[in-house]
Amino acid sequence: MSVDRAAMVAKVATMVMLFMGIGNADAVPAYARQTGQECVACHVSFPELTPYGRYFKLTGYTIGKAAFSDGKFHHVPLAVMAEASITHTQNNHAVDPDTGERVSVNQRNNGLVFCCASLFLAGKATDWLGAFIQWSYDNLATTADGTLGGHSSSDNMDIRAVGQYSPPGAAEPEWIYGATLHNNPTVQDVWNSTPAFSFPFTASPLASTPAAATLIDGGLEEQVAGLGGYVFWKKSLYAEVSFYRTADGAFSILRQGQDFHTDGGVAALKGYNPYWRLAYSHDWGPNSVMVGTYGLVADRYPSNFDTSTPTDRFRDVAVDAQYQYITDPHTFTAQATYIDEKQSYNASYPVTLATGAGIGAGPTPANATDTLRTFKAKATYYRDRKYGASLGYFSTVGSADAGLYGTDADGNARKPDSNGYIVELDYLPIQYVRLMLQYTGYGKFDGASKNYDGTGRNAHDNNTLFFDVWVAF
Amino acid sequence: MKRTETMLIGFAVACVFAATAHAQEVPGVSKAAEDKTVNLCSTCHGPHGISTSPEFPILAAQQKEYLVNQLHAFRERSRSEKDAHDFMWGIAGGLDDAMISQIAIFYSAQPPAPGRAGGDPAQIASGKKLFDQGSPDRGIPACASCHGDHAAGMGLFPRLAGQHAKYVAKQLNYIQSLVRAAPVMHGIVKDLAPAEIEALAAYVQSL
Repeated sequence: MSVDRAAMVAKVATMVMLFMGIGNADAVPAYARQTGQECVACHVSFPELTPYGRYFKLTGYTIGKAAFSDGKFHHVPLAVMAEASITHTQNNHAVDPDTGERVSVNQRNNGLVFCCASLFLAGKATDWLGAFIQWSYDNLATTADGTLGGHSSSDNMDIRAVGQYSPPGAAEPEWIYGATLHNNPTVQDVWNSTPAFSFPFTASPLASTPAAATLIDGGLEEQVAGLGGYVFWKKSLYAEVSFYRTADGAFSILRQGQDFHTDGGVAALKGYNPYWRLAYSHDWGPNSVMVGTYGLVADRYPSNFDTSTPTDRFRDVAVDAQYQYITDPHTFTAQATYIDEKQSYNASYPVTLATGAGIGAGPTPANATDTLRTFKAKATYYRDRKYGASLGYFSTVGSADAGLYGTDADGNARKPDSNGYIVELDYLPIQYVRLMLQYTGYGKFDGASKNYDGTGRNAHDNNTLFFDVWVAF
Repeated sequence: MKRTETMLIGFAVACVFAATAHAQEVPGVSKAAEDKTVNLCSTCHGPHGISTSPEFPILAAQQKEYLVNQLHAFRERSRSEKDAHDFMWGIAGGLDDAMISQIAIFYSAQPPAPGRAGGDPAQIASGKKLFDQGSPDRGIPACASCHGDHAAGMGLFPRLAGQHAKYVAKQLNYIQSLVRAAPVMHGIVKDLAPAEIEALAAYVQSL
């Protein structure tokens, strides 16, 4: 399907679903229709999960009735999500470091934009099989020449086969186990401290954001196929092993619409790359706490066009924690994670050293190995699941590398360091509509507080005020 | 690589089993009903029906007739306070009469939750006085006259002993403000002051 045609299909589907939703007072997303329960059963505020929401996901989205069962049609296993927003960038004027021309950082500064819409095929297929399949239309996708243009593509996907076992005398499920096929490391995770569903749950589609991030923190999203198995024992100990490979061949549906026709457009991995997850969870009274670790070792081809070369290795090791206090009317939740990445440029470094250029569009490191460390934390309070406030902090630090990050005015290699804070206010007039005001302030951006790009632009010039309307039907 | 792929697929297939669970046996309760309590109800109401979160009521040792009555009310959407609407309409909507009856038998047969006397002894004492004696000058009968001396309940009158104080207070407020339809109880509790509701709730939790 061509991009234009796919976009048109997404637009039409969106409009149809919106009208379906408006005409039906019970119109809430697919899982709510399936279970007959409201969003608050599974979400503190979407997408953050409650203990019951985690159970729902771990049991493969199979609670409730399948859309078609007992010879009857019960509900539409589809849902739609859309966002419209306004972004204000503090200083929207920058200078292109290469050409010296004055450019706008945010092409629609202070303007109302329809950002994106998603169509979900979500729900129970059988008592042991369920899915979360998201297809998104990005109205602000950037084309190769830098202009904005609509584009649709695969988004988060997670298909699960599950089972439960409890020995005689058990009063709770002792073993929940399952297999998952998904397309983004940690999208399968049920705690909101891991990257895929972590704070901020949505952010400006137009604002500049720091360039450096660890591979597990979005570097492979919607580009890989993840095959894994997990167990959750006595609702306390969770263990998972998954393996990630390039989403090509039979798995290509998992990255449809991604830019795999461009060198550097997607990641290409060598073989099956291991991911692990271990978490201890404990609930008492209205409290729930989790401490855990997760990580990934991935061998990545520098160029997705050439899989005959050696690979660079990215080793991510992370720890994370979550606390939730959920009562009526008060909920308080907090998450934190620390990710340590070691980058071993076994392929890119020797070639860069010898030729001055990387392999294809791959990296051009000046060091054989680099590190990147990210810390993120946030705390959220909601009253009546309606009025919310969040405060978040983020920091990434790493090795100075002139090949990856350039040099400053004195000729010193730059670092990838960025840090800042996010303040967010939320109001949900009804459970599937969120109005959000989010402010992101930077202390450092791409290596420095002042003059980080060599043209005089400062970190705080990228401070962003973001107003968003987020609707799901 | 083929070998890795085969191992992964084999692992995935090995994980694919229909849900199986074996709870303890309660006479007169089918395995399907026990599995439902273990795999679904326990998620909020806790193991053996003893929830730890005060947002979800304790079901252990609850009166069978009361449980049947309430599950029917959820299924028929005649009990409609917010939590009933948000959580229980969907759960009860998928239960037939036989399953409702068996779930009720299961929870009524579970050992009761122990009492938890938190808070102010004076408050608990005043709650006990109101529970045992009512307030005759205001026409409020003793709670014990229907719910029993030890709040164990009887038939359609629910067990209150050991119930989360927050849940009891919330329900009394719902009944008082007609959010939860309970005409007889409304007549009894309509004049209770907020402090009296809190005291009653603290007392029954302590039993």
